[in-house]
Amino acid sequence: MEKLTPEKLERLSRTSKHKAKNWIRVGMSTCGIAAGAGEVYAAFVEEARKRNLQVEVQKCGCLGMCYAEPLVEVNVEGAPQVVYGKVTKEIAVKILEKHVVSKMLVNDYIFTMET
Amino acid sequence: MYTRTILVKDTGSGTEDKTREVYTKLLDLLRTDKLEDQVQVVRVADIGFYNKGVVIKVLPENTLYVDVKEGDLARLVQATVKEDKPVEGLAQKKEPKQIRIVLRNCGRINPESIEEYIGQDGYRALTKVLLELNPEKVIEEMKKSGLRGRGGAGYPTWMKWKFTRQVAADQKFVICNADEGDPGAYMDRSVLESDPHSVIEGLIIAAYAIGASKGYFYIRAEYPLAVERIKKALAQAYEYGLLGKSILGTDFSFDIDIRLGAGAFVCGEETALIASIEGKRGTPRPRPPYPSVKGLWDKPTAINNVETLANVPYIFLKGADAFARVGTQTSKGTKVFALTGKVRNSGLVEVPMGITLREIVYDIGGGTVSGKNVKAVQTGGPSGGVIPREFLDTPVDYENLQKLGSIMGSGGMIVMDEDDCMVDIAKFYLGFCVDESCGKCAPCRIGGFQMLGVLARIAEGKGKADDPAILKRISFAMQKASLCGLGQGSPNPVLSTLKYFTSEYKEHIENKKCPAGKCVDLLNYSIIQEKCKRCSVCFTNCPVKAIEGNREEGYKILLDKCVKCERCFEVCKFKAIARK
Repeated sequence: MEKLTPEKLERLSRTSKHKAKNWIRVGMSTCGIAAGAGEVYAAFVEEARKRNLQVEVQKCGCLGMCYAEPLVEVNVEGAPQVVYGKVTKEIAVKILEKHVVSKMLVNDYIFTMET
Repeated sequence: MYTRTILVKDTGSGTEDKTREVYTKLLDLLRTDKLEDQVQVVRVADIGFYNKGVVIKVLPENTLYVDVKEGDLARLVQATVKEDKPVEGLAQKKEPKQIRIVLRNCGRINPESIEEYIGQDGYRALTKVLLELNPEKVIEEMKKSGLRGRGGAGYPTWMKWKFTRQVAADQKFVICNADEGDPGAYMDRSVLESDPHSVIEGLIIAAYAIGASKGYFYIRAEYPLAVERIKKALAQAYEYGLLGKSILGTDFSFDIDIRLGAGAFVCGEETALIASIEGKRGTPRPRPPYPSVKGLWDKPTAINNVETLANVPYIFLKGADAFARVGTQTSKGTKVFALTGKVRNSGLVEVPMGITLREIVYDIGGGTVSGKNVKAVQTGGPSGGVIPREFLDTPVDYENLQKLGSIMGSGGMIVMDEDDCMVDIAKFYLGFCVDESCGKCAPCRIGGFQMLGVLARIAEGKGKADDPAILKRISFAMQKASLCGLGQGSPNPVLSTLKYFTSEYKEHIENKKCPAGKCVDLLNYSIIQEKCKRCSVCFTNCPVKAIEGNREEGYKILLDKCVKCERCFEVCKFKAIARK
């Protein structure tokens, strides 16, 4: 890989800003993985591919709300950006079908964040 | 497509959860007004309020309604949806209690991608430092920011850097102390796992400021994922030329290596940590000379905690003044706490210095799981102390916590409710320190062991009247004569419980009773005949056949056979087992 200079860093910074409009982020720190985030992540990738959905499934770190792991943040156009907690494989499917496809938030699993 | 979202949650302390009721009511209201296609109603699991009745949040305006009564619902729909404005006199403002500086990228970026970190203005602080500031100026900025060490003692970071810079030497080192070991604390692990590059960037800036050419991450081996992510992050930084020779095209060169700790708590102490990196047995040595003068391989060394370093890029990116605006007079910025114990929402919180414990425990943590009163909050791990309920309104900063006999520590915060026995807590923490004592100095090795014996005796009901005095005397000796912070700090949990919960110790010693019902040796179990339904569940579950009787005549517990396993207490559905 090319060594960075200040100018190249600047350029890279601009180009690597989040471009995906629709994304799902799964918290994959020790706390998330212990609560089953690995399985949930795999379910999202698999089910989104099966349904041919235009959504990027990403891994991220810990949001801090360990009591509600696995945490999944969802942002799709046409619906508010929310964090789902205590997500299982089944809920993952529900999130894809309701939230991502129909833009309807899933009941009973949203944990609102302050920040 | 919906134009509005209404989030509902009953946060009330009442017996019934009204969320579903309010939810259907709102749906009905919307249906009568034929608005169900424009507005969606969603039941949420957590809305950020606790014990505040029905809470409703309307998006995208983000207006909040707390303690909403059923009669208000029609008005709420009318105003927010039809008239496009908040309901007067009902809408609430909520200032966020948390500020994210250290955790700014945690959960927001993929920790295994350097590009995503760079996309969040990552390594821009480093560019600024290398191109625009000389090392003296960097230290000057750090002084302005007022950042103090987040590992426990709260030593000003700029002073540490300045002293290390001042010493003339052919080589200097910087070390990132990631040997987090306090029971219940995992702030550093989370930062390393979620945003490794911010720590690396902080370490490079530290190296530039003091003139070090080599740095180490000292991470405990029990954090395999953190180690893996730091390894990956270092490799990426090398590939991009952010580490190694002539960083970013400047003439500054710097290398970082990883060293794993084998799990000794004492290796979090800086001189023991240095010994461990040198390949020696991890034991502390007397200071002075401080590591800033004679550290790793006798060279000047600056050792900073993970959280401290994660603050550094923010300071140079947003300016020292912006950082110093957060916090109190003496303690600037934020602190990450690992909120655990009997609290409802356990997890990581990042709060500005000066926030009260009550706000952390009740507003962010949501109070206790059991709904019982908070008895005390333990901060600072095994070197800290307990802070009783009366002091929950104390603003959290280094000085205030110290005044209360505790310390800020690395950020463990354990909430205790009325079921926690303070003698038991003191015994637990002291037991931890006795296990982890390296044994080099006598006050810690012998003092801790003796104190633990006294506490065990009290918990068994064999305590003597002068035991508290003995505990205080040994504590004093340990505080004054121990070689390092481990021995000096380990009496703190005992002293603070003795200070604030004298009557609980007295109850154990004089009346041989444990008010919280924790010290098993002081408890006896019996069946409350009035409550007993003679269901025989305790009888069949008792593993030692210490319950006799039958369904006609009732049951009783034979104390001479009972091993106090609490099985009957747990299985009885009618709460007919008394524990006294």
